[in-house]
Amino acid sequence: MKRFFKYTALFLVCLAWCSNAQAITDKNDPIQVVFRFVKGNDMFYVPLKENAENLDNLCKVLKENAAENGSVSVDGYSDTKALSKIRCNRVKSELILRAGVTENTFTTTNNTGEFNGMKDVVVITVTVPEETNEVIAAAPAATEKKVEATAATEPTKMQEHVVGQLVQLPPAGNVTTIVPEFTGIGGVDKDQFTFTESMLDEDEDVIQGASAMTTSSDDYFLSEVGYRWSSMRFKVRGYDSQYNSVYANGALLNDAERGTFSYGMIGGLNDATRNQESSIYLENSNFGYSTVGGASNINMRASQYAAGHKMSFVACNRNYLARLMYTYSTGLMDNGWAFTMSASYRWANEGVIEGTFYNSLGYYFSAQKVINDKHSISIATWGSPTERGQQGAATEEAYWLANDHYYNPNWGYQNGEKRNARVVTSYEPTALFTWDYKINRETKLTTSAAFKYGIYGTTALGWNGNAADPRPNYYKNLPSSAYNVWDLNYYNAEINPENAIYQEDNRAEWWRLYNHWTSSKANRQLNWDYMYLANRQANAVGGECLYYVEERHNDQMMLSIGSVLDHEFNKNNRANIGVNINTTKGMHYKKMDDLLGAHKYTDIDKFSVGDHGASSYIVQNDLDNPNRLIREGDKFGYDYNIYVNKVNLFAQYQYDKNNIHFYAGANIDGTTIQREGNMRNGRAAWIDANGVMHDISKGKSDVARFLGGGAKASLLWNINGNNKVMIGGGYSHRAPLAYNSFIAPRIREDFVNGLETEKVWNGEISYAVKYGPVAAKVSGFYTRVQDAVQQSAFYNDSEGKFTYLTMTGVEKSYFGGEFALVYNVTSALSFNILASISEAQYTKNTNGTSMTEDQQELKYKNSTVYMDGARVGGSPLTALSFGVDYNTNGWYLSANLNYYDRIYVSPSLYARLESTVTGEGGVDINGNTVKNLPSQFRGDGGFLLDASIGKSIRLKGGKQLNINLSLNNILNNKKMVTGGYEQNRGDYNEDNEQKIYKFSKNPFLYYANSFNAYLNIGLRF
Amino acid sequence: MKSLKYLFITALAVFTFTSCMNDHDEPDSDIPAYGNNLIGIPNMSITEFKTKYKQAMSSTAPTTITDNVIIKGVVVCNDETGNIYKQIVINDGGDAMLISVNDVGLYSQLPRGQMVAIDCQGLAVGAYGKLPQLGLPYTNKYGEIAIGRMNKQAFQSHIKLLGTPNPYYSELVPEDLTAEFLSNDANKDLLPRYVRLKGVSFQEADGTTMYAPEEEVQNSAVERTVKVGNTKIIFRLSSYADFAYEILPQGTFDIVGVLTRYNSDWQFMLSSTSDITPAE
Repeated sequence: MKRFFKYTALFLVCLAWCSNAQAITDKNDPIQVVFRFVKGNDMFYVPLKENAENLDNLCKVLKENAAENGSVSVDGYSDTKALSKIRCNRVKSELILRAGVTENTFTTTNNTGEFNGMKDVVVITVTVPEETNEVIAAAPAATEKKVEATAATEPTKMQEHVVGQLVQLPPAGNVTTIVPEFTGIGGVDKDQFTFTESMLDEDEDVIQGASAMTTSSDDYFLSEVGYRWSSMRFKVRGYDSQYNSVYANGALLNDAERGTFSYGMIGGLNDATRNQESSIYLENSNFGYSTVGGASNINMRASQYAAGHKMSFVACNRNYLARLMYTYSTGLMDNGWAFTMSASYRWANEGVIEGTFYNSLGYYFSAQKVINDKHSISIATWGSPTERGQQGAATEEAYWLANDHYYNPNWGYQNGEKRNARVVTSYEPTALFTWDYKINRETKLTTSAAFKYGIYGTTALGWNGNAADPRPNYYKNLPSSAYNVWDLNYYNAEINPENAIYQEDNRAEWWRLYNHWTSSKANRQLNWDYMYLANRQANAVGGECLYYVEERHNDQMMLSIGSVLDHEFNKNNRANIGVNINTTKGMHYKKMDDLLGAHKYTDIDKFSVGDHGASSYIVQNDLDNPNRLIREGDKFGYDYNIYVNKVNLFAQYQYDKNNIHFYAGANIDGTTIQREGNMRNGRAAWIDANGVMHDISKGKSDVARFLGGGAKASLLWNINGNNKVMIGGGYSHRAPLAYNSFIAPRIREDFVNGLETEKVWNGEISYAVKYGPVAAKVSGFYTRVQDAVQQSAFYNDSEGKFTYLTMTGVEKSYFGGEFALVYNVTSALSFNILASISEAQYTKNTNGTSMTEDQQELKYKNSTVYMDGARVGGSPLTALSFGVDYNTNGWYLSANLNYYDRIYVSPSLYARLESTVTGEGGVDINGNTVKNLPSQFRGDGGFLLDASIGKSIRLKGGKQLNINLSLNNILNNKKMVTGGYEQNRGDYNEDNEQKIYKFSKNPFLYYANSFNAYLNIGLRF
Repeated sequence: MKSLKYLFITALAVFTFTSCMNDHDEPDSDIPAYGNNLIGIPNMSITEFKTKYKQAMSSTAPTTITDNVIIKGVVVCNDETGNIYKQIVINDGGDAMLISVNDVGLYSQLPRGQMVAIDCQGLAVGAYGKLPQLGLPYTNKYGEIAIGRMNKQAFQSHIKLLGTPNPYYSELVPEDLTAEFLSNDANKDLLPRYVRLKGVSFQEADGTTMYAPEEEVQNSAVERTVKVGNTKIIFRLSSYADFAYEILPQGTFDIVGVLTRYNSDWQFMLSSTSDITPAE
């Protein structure tokens, strides 16, 4: 018994001793943690080795215990004391931010040498009080934000695929509020004057289907690519759309100012415009004269439509969701009359891109009277009043933050509803009159006149006075403007000690901006409620409107006349002569669309106020009505007209004999361009020595006259019926576009200096072969454009002024090959291959003339723009397609796999300007300036797979039902860049200091739509 | 005719949708889309606030406020002309407080005459050039932790708009600054203060000198001087101000603004040239 108690007692004592020993051990043993650093680098990489785990444990300990002042030892061991000190600071900062301790908690020593054989370490020693056991065992306080859980790992790769560079993101941590250097009084951020977007048309907005819609049935390639590659906005040969002409009954409908055809004019009128014929440059056309991009002619004669009714319904998920269309034609009736009408409506309260909407009505009416077998008169009228909310481009960083390549910065919440700041309202009603005169069996005269009055307005947000830029993706709202994610050495204490101090603050700011962007959708979009509030506050103190929506108008009145006399001499010779006459008045102005609740808006230029004072005449936009108060619907800011007159005379000849086909064409044209200003702008006015004011703003400018013309010829050799070779070429002079002819048309009437006609050389060779069930064609082309003009306007950071830059002597080369092959395996099954591999680039450094807006005397500042080698953007220069078509029993199936590559974004002129290129390059060891030529951003190549299935069902009574389902981007590839533009801003500021945000690495991008479907049900009856 | 019937159907479908899609209602004005509406009732005057944190406000090292302190005041100085940058000053009739915020265009939500409540808990106070301000800590170019501008999000969660701007608030009436006040150095500890300088003139005004042209900028500002009695008060003007290129007016004027300091110099924060009126 005694022994039992003795041993029990001993056992109990041991037990007690053990547990005490445990406690004693814990109480006496301090916690020691070693943090490792990368040799030579002072940055504290949390994911390095056991750093993360150690940091977490240490934070737990510190959080759960009130550490006494000086109780935590921080000992750095590095090659130098300075490096040691910085590394200790880094660790201490982490602990302060994560564990909530203060600087006073630490006792720091900065040492050189090693700790227990380890170099480049910081050792933390914490003396822990008694109750630690239980505390450590307790669950850690869930104070860390969700993002930290994922972020305390490898820095993620942002934008890696876009610019091929790994971007170093700052490590996570509790975010405290930290701010860049305190500069004291003054210093309004001139950076917020991102004038480019606010004042100018953003032409880079998504262009609606500008690809050449050639539907030539002869050429398989041209008839297919328009539609097949439209999701990537493919442009045949990379040509600008101004080189493609669109006619209606022989009247040229291209816009005389911009040279392009506005497809919005016939929006939704698919049935009405289905009858088209087209010709390529080196081919005869009996409706007009084509330039290098080819031409098409829409037949709008009422008798040319299939008689009967046609109704169709479309459901899809694109920029519109539903379309209803009805077309009816009487066909040519016995009394010689024919009537055709078509109406269509496209709708989306929200399209596939968030924040966009579509509201478009299209109507068409035509009538024709065939008077006798010689004469026929037709009239047609159509229009497509449309209202749609636009998609905007964003940088890859913004897409990454929004986790969506279809993020649209143009919209925001107002009262909980989505509202888009960029709404296009367009209506271009046109009337067409045609007289067909069949003089005799061989001769035909076709004459048409088209009259159009078009209204085209785009809204945009404006901000007044010193109000802050409201856009959610303004660069200062993006994390990479707070922390340099591009330069891994930027915060290196040894290389850039002056930046190293800011690393912590910058890092915390990065995380704050990141969290703000990613935490709520509303944070990534416009805040309309905020803008209304600002205006209400201004109303309360009698102040000026701070935020508003303006509508920029490019209206146009046009008369276009075309007449062609076509004569067949005999079966071998055919010729035509014709004339196109165009007179256009373009009206450009802006209107106040919505004052967003404000009561007062005075029409002055806010950018000039700072430089000249509010009372100076220079700030006035309309000196004849100074300080005018603007109401909604009023014109303000600028108001000018552009008059363009064009006459083009052409002749074409075609010779066919045996197996030779020869074609030649020539033209001569004259163009006049003139500007008329309706407002006297203060920035284009000056007061002479006698106190008299002059201006070059109001009134008519001089008239610029251009004489153009050219010739082309081609020879086709039909070798044996199955092999054809064609070779041809041409040379022409084209007048510059009115759109590019003025330096700053909103303000002044000056023409661009040294304006001359553009020269276009073109050469082409092709070979077509038919062998059994296989038909193939391969062609090579070379086009060179010289002496073209191109303009850009942007905020020049190095000078701190808004600048207009005009490049003259622009030279571009387009060359490459096209290939098409069709293999008809059976009458039901066929395969096809399409390929276009080409180059489209600038081939010369050009002369740029820049002018700042407040220059009153025109002093041209010439500089070189390093454009050589820059690619023309916006179209994949490599496009390959493999397709299958199968039909059976009224079913139609087709699928095609497409590969696209070499898609470049539009190059920035500013980035290639001499002052930018040499300024940012610095000086090399020999004292020579280094040129920092930017590389142009290029999207990654990739595949898009499309398929469609359709069925034609014949119903009773001659009715026909057609159902077609088209599936696009079946692979749901969301990484295909379709185009975009580089930013026209510099990476260096006025004082030649590097900015943290890199404009050069942040182009604005558009991506091809993800998987979408299109169901079309049509009924003919 | 049957075709007319179909045309009508289409047209009907059209018109039911064509009511303009771009019509939007104005937002409700009850709840301001700015600031934090959950902030409670102000519990301290600015004078009490300055007394309570006197030591913190004279130290360059920032001190975070941990107590429940809510002050209120009327905005008397802001960045409307671009002369002031990333700062506002509020005045509660007894005293004024300088608030530093890393945001531009503050005047658009905070015009002169807007009463605000500031929840100071979580913000920091400290001195820059011995002038106290409310902000948050940051690392300055010497690597030291100092008082800096609070970030946008922090500002939004610590400010509340009280009512609509009112130009008749008594807090908008400045106190007249006397030479006696300026002669006592100890009064520098009472800064910032919302004051009116009476009957002063710009020493540099000669009919051609401008307020703040870029050529004359030194250390981010152009200095202009005004004398009250024997004391010099320095105006640090920004070349980015709307009035920077206007001519400095000659003559005597009454100027309303905020009296501040930079170490031992008296300085003045001018919001706008409309605060400069001919002396009575």
